[in-house]
Amino acid sequence: MIFDKKKITTAYTVEQCNSCHKEIKRKFKEGDCLFSETVKCPSCEGKLIIEKIFGETIEQ
Amino acid sequence: MDLTNFDLDELFGFGDDSNPLMMLIWIIPIIIFVFYGQRIQLYVTSNDIKKNIATLNEYKDESKKELINFVKNNFMPKDDPTKKIETFLDYFSIMPVDMDPNGIVPKVQHFIRSREDYTRQHVKSLHPGMSDLELSKTQTLLEIASTLQLIYKIINHLFLTAKKQNNFPLILPLQMMLPFIMEQAEALKEAIPAFKAGQPVGDGIGPMVVGKMMLNTIKKESAFQTVFSETDFDGRKLYLLKAEGPLSTVGRLGDAVKNLTSDHKFDAIIMIDAALKMEGEESATIARGFGAAIGGIGVERFHIEEAATAKNIPIFSIIIKQTAKEAIGLMTKDIAETAEDVTSQIHEIIKENTKEGQSILIIGVGNTMGVPQ
Repeated sequence: MIFDKKKITTAYTVEQCNSCHKEIKRKFKEGDCLFSETVKCPSCEGKLIIEKIFGETIEQ
Repeated sequence: MDLTNFDLDELFGFGDDSNPLMMLIWIIPIIIFVFYGQRIQLYVTSNDIKKNIATLNEYKDESKKELINFVKNNFMPKDDPTKKIETFLDYFSIMPVDMDPNGIVPKVQHFIRSREDYTRQHVKSLHPGMSDLELSKTQTLLEIASTLQLIYKIINHLFLTAKKQNNFPLILPLQMMLPFIMEQAEALKEAIPAFKAGQPVGDGIGPMVVGKMMLNTIKKESAFQTVFSETDFDGRKLYLLKAEGPLSTVGRLGDAVKNLTSDHKFDAIIMIDAALKMEGEESATIARGFGAAIGGIGVERFHIEEAATAKNIPIFSIIIKQTAKEAIGLMTKDIAETAEDVTSQIHEIIKENTKEGQSILIIGVGNTMGVPQ
């Protein structure tokens, strides 16, 4: 329809520190897999674990 | 203006001084609509259907192109895989005769599994060295492309038949069904990027919840592409079961439940699955109920129900409601955020319905793409 807005979905990855439970949301990168360890937590010595991968849709 | 003083005959042109031109203006459209009404309606409806068929054709071509590019970019085959893929896309399925329904489930199971095994074997022949993950992704992309091709062919056939026969009643059911079919086709088309990238889909919420509970436990194979592990919770023994992630598969949960119930004694089964929401319902809402929450053609559900009935095990279920588009597309934020709530509801069901020392089988149902354990 001419009034339909274009929808764009972007994938995000949410990492959570297994020590301080801090959550970091960033754009999905190829190779990201749920429950896998990524890098060290920037706030403490804990490890960041991918907690969620999801898409958010915006209308343009 | 006096509205009470008007002449009906004069108004409709039927009086003595009636105008023959006015009469023609009234009568000609009536005659046209009596004899050609259906054709006019057919013409108007046809334009709408034609636009949808063009969209379906676009989806079909796009999915085929995506599949071919995926195979070319990931496996770099020596020969061009296009012809081989086109042959796969044209595979058809003939369901077993159901005039005598006795014994139909083993027949359907045999038919489905043979088809799956055959497709897997032939997809693997595109590049014998491909990993199980890549193989499952390619198989899913092939299923999407062949389903879109089949939808296009059926709708186009129905439309052309109705048009050829100038048969308006034949086009009516097509016009009524088309919005639902377009929704399904759009959902399939939009699922392609998620499967290519190995991202979890909405249907994977059940495996995601159970997969998280399975972390740091010893995983064992219980059936083809299906794994289970044991853990403890509040004095109970939990057996966690799901399809083997992060492959794009739903596993063989029916076989797994049959095997597990023959080796262990369970006091309850809890199933977690995505379910289609009704219009008006909010997406990502959680509901609890009884009975085996599992979709598909019915084979897996049959085996789970049979095993539970034989051993007198109650089945509790938790469903996470979503649309068809959400179920096969990249998991939405709302659905992903229900995971913690679902886990606490599983714990509640366990505490409310079982005692310490009992064993519970927890099954995460759905496609486990991108969801390890």
